[in-house]
This record gives sequence, structure tokens and C-alpha cells, in this order.
Amino acid sequence: MNGAPAGSEVIISLKDVGVRYRQQGGRFKKPGYYQAFEGLNLDIYRGETLGIIGRNGAGKSTLLRLIAGIIKPDTGRFINHGVTVSLLSLAAGFDADLSGVDNAIISGMLLGYRRQQIVARLNDIREFSELGSFMDQPVKTYSSGMRSRLGFAVAMYMTPDVLLLDEILSVGDADFKKKAEAEMMKKLHSDQTVLLVSHSEEQVNRVCDRKIELTSSSLT
Amino acid sequence: MDNTVHSQDAMEWALAPMQQQRWQLAAERWATLRAAHGQVADVWVQAAICHRQLGDWNTAEELLTEAIRRFEANPNAWLELVALYRAKGANEQARTYLNKTLERFPHQLAVMMSAAEQAMLDDAFDEADALNARTRDLYSNEASAWCQYAEISMRRMAWSQALLRWAEVRARFPDMPAGYERAAEAAEAQGHVKQARRLKLAREYGLEWLASFDRPDLASDHIAPPRRRNAAQFVELVWVKACFNLKSEASQNSLRYFWWVLDPLLYMSVFYLVFGVMLHRGGGGDFIVYLLTGLVPFQWFAKTVQQSSNAIFAGRGLMNQVHISPLFFPLVGIMQNAGKQMPVFLLLIGFLIFYGLHPTWHWIALLPIIVLQLVLMSVIGCFLALLVPFARDLNNLIPTGIQFMLFCSGVFYTVDTIPEKWQTLFFSNPMASLLYQYRLVLMDRQWPDWSGMGWILLGCSIGGIALSWFYKRVESDLPRVVGQ
Repeated sequence: MNGAPAGSEVIISLKDVGVRYRQQGGRFKKPGYYQAFEGLNLDIYRGETLGIIGRNGAGKSTLLRLIAGIIKPDTGRFINHGVTVSLLSLAAGFDADLSGVDNAIISGMLLGYRRQQIVARLNDIREFSELGSFMDQPVKTYSSGMRSRLGFAVAMYMTPDVLLLDEILSVGDADFKKKAEAEMMKKLHSDQTVLLVSHSEEQVNRVCDRKIELTSSSLT
Repeated sequence: MDNTVHSQDAMEWALAPMQQQRWQLAAERWATLRAAHGQVADVWVQAAICHRQLGDWNTAEELLTEAIRRFEANPNAWLELVALYRAKGANEQARTYLNKTLERFPHQLAVMMSAAEQAMLDDAFDEADALNARTRDLYSNEASAWCQYAEISMRRMAWSQALLRWAEVRARFPDMPAGYERAAEAAEAQGHVKQARRLKLAREYGLEWLASFDRPDLASDHIAPPRRRNAAQFVELVWVKACFNLKSEASQNSLRYFWWVLDPLLYMSVFYLVFGVMLHRGGGGDFIVYLLTGLVPFQWFAKTVQQSSNAIFAGRGLMNQVHISPLFFPLVGIMQNAGKQMPVFLLLIGFLIFYGLHPTWHWIALLPIIVLQLVLMSVIGCFLALLVPFARDLNNLIPTGIQFMLFCSGVFYTVDTIPEKWQTLFFSNPMASLLYQYRLVLMDRQWPDWSGMGWILLGCSIGGIALSWFYKRVESDLPRVVGQ
């Protein structure tokens, strides 16, 4: 399970990286700090599926946001060797008053697409989400299952060099869940580089090439 | 019939300990059964298997020889004898006997399979392939024959060939676990870890799922996002989001877009009624024109600053989900308000004409003034939006600040009422200067004071450059600052 794929290319490196959060201090009180993790060394190789496990509060989601480029480390160095990285998030920027089509467009654009790229995909999104004519109705009329189906269909067409997943997303009713999970598994097993954060070690063992475990303040 | 059922039960009784590998007990039970069901071939053969397992070759051989004598048409005893020779290490004997069996039962599945098996053991792979091909011809629906077909390649360590053959097994027998598990072993032996895992998971997700990895159109099905949005993409995003926000806002009312005209129309009417009709201030009603030419642009300023100052903080959820410049949030608010303001300006012009002011060419200068106000509001809005997350209490001061600006910008009073010595200070407020320009153009029918506008533009440019530097600097801190 461990051990890097020999000879493959490092696309992202973390060297002695630490992230901490300031805790409620207020303007006149000295703030305390909460160390999400520190001294983290990690290389990510092209094409691998890397699993990150750890308990709640071990800094898994923080690590994903760091790798996605949303936040910067407080200590150490984070090096991206020129690859695109995206955190797969469902229903990013949805507006309940807008139609499914409009939400697909804006959500897709927020995830990084050009407008015309999504417009060209609208039929696929309509088909995959099984929403049919509901696509033209405001999202506020959707059930929560329909809403996540739309979110999933939009996010599904994302292919950055490195895809970051916070848990395997399986959404919707039983049938759609299966379809969504199969689609996720397809992503996990294609040649795309995937980072999967999970609390389930069993799931990571099943789908990942390599795993690391985050403990509250260091890496083992 | 009864007898058959009875013998079936009896067989179960003896087979059970075999499954638990309790050979001695099983052998004893078969011995008991032989007395009652000696006419059943399996009673002899199974007993021989037990004795073989116990290493009691001689008894096993005796039993099988007897079975062959009694049941000439049953190949099982023959095959078990071959297995016995193999277990004894008498390979030559095993081979000879197997050939005899094959001669006797040339079309029996078990015999043909066994012969191919022997050929594999002897590393005579071509012979094994030939035997297996014959078996598959005769028993094309028999999964075991097809599995053997792939197993020959596995034994040969011809992994690529094995993968192809397992694929054929999967296509014919999708429920056969070996088609996935053994194929995964072949892929692993080739060093294709990923493919191996896919094969294992394919049992769960189906053949179509597995096949989708080999389709070249899969790659073109997805679109890769750019590493970072370029300027054009960013502008497109801000534009589309602002348009959608307007659409969403309009959809919340049953009168929809009509409100954008109705709302300013109503408040203009209120001012007209109070100041123009009831109070009759400023004699001929010039005051109402003066008031509205100041109030309309100021309201735009107030709404824009109010909305954009809290924009980054309000966008914290999204900021922690996607990688996006924080400039996006205030800029969307500014664009959105600008969109809503355009009909208001048209209404104002309509009102002025209705009031008896004839348009002149100077009104063209309204455009650069509006654009300059937009630039000014962008700088102020983005500045406040950046400040609020770091000092959230500031948000409470914004309405007061806007109120203060309202009184400092000369919406309600004319510049000549200000003492001379305070006028420079008054005009250092860019909004005061801009309102003055609006009135120069609309009421006095003059060209605006270009130098005054130039100063505002210069100030905005310097502020804009400084802001973009600050935004770059804090971009990656903001998600954490607003998230806390």
C-alpha cells in the first residue's frame, strides 16, 4: 500500500508544512492558536489515487483546501509543479431562485469552466441528472435529492489534473446513488490523479494506491 | 423414487465431513454406505478420494479399480485414479492412464478438461490449448471450459493474452468471479495496479463501467479547467453572476423587472409631491430638479457601497469551496447595482424633459460621469469589502458613513451656500465633486469640469493599483479569516 510509484513524476510537494487557525481572541485579548497539522511532508505523484485518512479535526479538509490553493500554509513550503487542482464541491454557488440550467451554468463557471463549455454540456447534464423538464424550473422547487443530482451532474464533468474529493460522494435516491458512485469510481480509477479524504480506512484501502494518515498534529 | 431420495440424504451424510476435511470420518461413512448403496458409482469414488487424502494409496486404488470394473460408462472413477497417481508422484502412470481415459471417453467434459490440465502441468501449452479448444467447441456454454482457456495463459505467464481471455470469460459469464479476480491477478503481475483494482471493482459496477475506461471518447467527454482564470474569464464570470443575480432578484416578485422602474418612480414622485407641490421650495420648482439630479446618483452610490462592503464576508461559504479571487464578490454587487441603475437614469432624464429642461449635446457628457462614478464606487466598494472581514465591527459603521456622505455631498444644498474657505475641502469629497458634475451637465447645460474629473480618475487609479496589490497579498488568507 505504501511506497511511491517508482519513477513517476511528482506534481505537488509539501515540505514541512503547517497550518494553524487563530482561535477567538477578540481585539484586546491575545488570541490562541489551533494547530491543524504541522511538519507535514508529502509528495503527490501523477496518476496516483492517494487516500488521506484521519479522525475528525485531524486537518483533512484543511489539507485539501491547502492543496486546492484556497489557503496558504503558515509554515513550510507548498509547491505546485504547474498542475490544475480542483476540489469537487456539489452545488457550489447555487441560487434557489434560478432555474436548474442557470444554476448549472454559474456553478460550472465557478468550478472553472467557460460559459460556452457548460452550455455545450447542458444536454448531458440534463440526461445524467435525470431532471428532464425540471431543469427549467427554479431550484427552490426541487427536492434535496434532485438538487444534489444536479450538483453532481455539473461537477462530474470536471477533469482537473488533480481532483480532490472530500469523501466519496454518493447522492440522491438508491438508483442515482449507484450511478453516482460508479461515476466516482470511474474517476478514482482513471489515469487522473485523485486525492480522496475519508474517515473510512476500509474504503481507502479498497480504492487507493497509497494512503497517509493524519494524526492531530503530525503525519505518520 | 423413494430410494433415490433416501440415497441422496445418505450421500449428504457422508459428504458433510468431507467438506470439513474430516477424511477419516468420511471414509468410515462411505464404507457404511457401500454396503447399502453399492450400485452408486459415487460411493466408491468419494471413498477413494478420502483415502487418497489420508495417504492410504492402496485402499484408494483398490476401491477405484473395483469402481471401474463395476461402472464402465462412468469416467469419474478413471479420473480419480489419474488424480491418485498424480498425488503419489507417479506422473508417467498418471499420463498413461489419462490417455486411456481420453480414448475411452473422448467427448466427456470432465475428461477433456482433465487432459488439458495434465498438458498444462507438463508445460505442453500448445497441446493444452488444442484440447481446450475442442472442449470449448463441444461445450461452448460451459464456464469451466472458458476459465481453463484463460488459466492456460495464466500458467504460461502470458499476461496480456490472459487478460484478453478473461475478458472473453467476463463477456460470456458476467457473474463468474474468476473473470474479475483472476484477471486482476494477471494485471497485477504485469504491474498494472490501477487496472487490477478496476477489474476487482467491475464485479460490483458492471461490465459497461469497466469498458468505459477503454473508450477514447471518455477523455473528450470531460473538460479541464484552466490553471487560473484569465482576465477575460473572470470578467465573464462576474458578468454572468451579476446578470443571474438580477434575474433571481426579479423572480422573487410577481411584477419582476417592472419594480426596477416602479421603485425609483415612486420615490421620485414622493420627492416631487413633498418638495415640488406641497412645499413649493425654490420658487419655480428648480429645487426638485436640483434634488433629484443629486439624489439619483447618490442613491446608486449608497446601495452599491452598502451591498459590496459586506460582499466578501457574505461569500465566505463559496470562497472555501472554490478557488476564486475575492475581488469577485464586491465586483458582482457593483455590476448588479449598475444594471439596476440604468433604467433609473433613463427615468431621471424623462423626468427632466417632463419638467421642461430641453436636452442639449452636453447631456452626452453624462456617460463619462456615470462611468467615473462606477469606477469610484468599485474602488470604494472593493476597499471596504476587503476591510470588513478583518474588522467586522466596521460593518456597523457603514450606514452611518453613507449618511455622513449624504450630508457632505451637497444633495440637499447648493455649493454657493458653503463659505468660500470650506469649498476646497467640500470638493475633496469625490462624491460631492461628481454630483456637481451631474448638475453642471444636466441643469446648467455645460460641459463638466474635466480637471476635477481627472483628479478623481487619478485618485481611483492609484487606489485601484494599491487595492489589487493588497488583494493579491491577502487572497489566500481571506478564506481563513472569514471562516473563523
